[in-house]
Amino acid sequence: MNVPTEHLLVLAALLFALGVLGFLARRNVIIVLASIELMLNAANLSFLAASRHWARASLAEQGHWDQGPIFAIFVILVAAAEAAVGLALVIALYRLKQTVALDTASELKG
Amino acid sequence: MAEALFYFLGGLALVFAVGVVRARMPLFSVLSLLGSFFCLAAIYLLCGFPFLAATQLLVYAGAIMVLFLFVIMLLNLGDAAEIERHAGPTLSGRRLLVAGVSAGVLGLVGLFAADLGGASFADEPAVQGRALDDLDHLATVLFSRYALPFEAASLLLLATMVGVIVLAKRQRGARVEAVRARETAELAVPQESAP
Repeated sequence: MNVPTEHLLVLAALLFALGVLGFLARRNVIIVLASIELMLNAANLSFLAASRHWARASLAEQGHWDQGPIFAIFVILVAAAEAAVGLALVIALYRLKQTVALDTASELKG
Repeated sequence: MAEALFYFLGGLALVFAVGVVRARMPLFSVLSLLGSFFCLAAIYLLCGFPFLAATQLLVYAGAIMVLFLFVIMLLNLGDAAEIERHAGPTLSGRRLLVAGVSAGVLGLVGLFAADLGGASFADEPAVQGRALDDLDHLATVLFSRYALPFEAASLLLLATMVGVIVLAKRQRGARVEAVRARETAELAVPQESAP
């Protein structure tokens, strides 16, 4: 595939921006969590794009291009842990408030 | 051919991402997320990362998605009327403005950062047709240079497991606390209004 690295990074940036939009604009906890997953995926995509960029024969000696897949694996791991804890929190919130709207959880406002 | 496929999949991933943000019901949002994951897995495959594509499908599209759907079904959040009652209208004025401006600024920063000075990728013989995440190589690196982060990751997973069990099992105590809080609130109101 002969696609410039910039295009991969642009796709990652757009996905991340959409994730930020969903994270800030929505009130439903589950959609907020889905937006976080979207952002993590965008970060993964940019890691892999960079790795692919630096793996070129003319650049491969300059650095550890194999860091990209490794970091992507760690990001996937952290995303799995985050989803598990986040959804457990959703269940706890629902048990307490009988709702999943974020606005209702405002006890810490003081 | 592969280039056209990449642009098609990238556009599809963006459409699905818009679906995640715009969906009225969390079920549709999560299903859009699943579509986005599939598109990204195919893009990873096109970029020369077959192992990462498989991991993406197994962990994201498999495990995490099942978790999301399980919670939606468990809390009975599929009903549209219930959702309306729970989360209200999807996007509201001022909140949407703030979120849009933040997301737009971040996206623009990303777009400017993506400009690598015209150093575009061209297929070179050393790269073409070779998996960039060759498992032998990846395992060697993971268990030598990244052995400590690997162990830390296992610790993180253990802590996550314990935390999730604690959070999900605190059923009776939480309910008793909620009832007690409601009772004290009901008791407090007449006392204030009596004098």
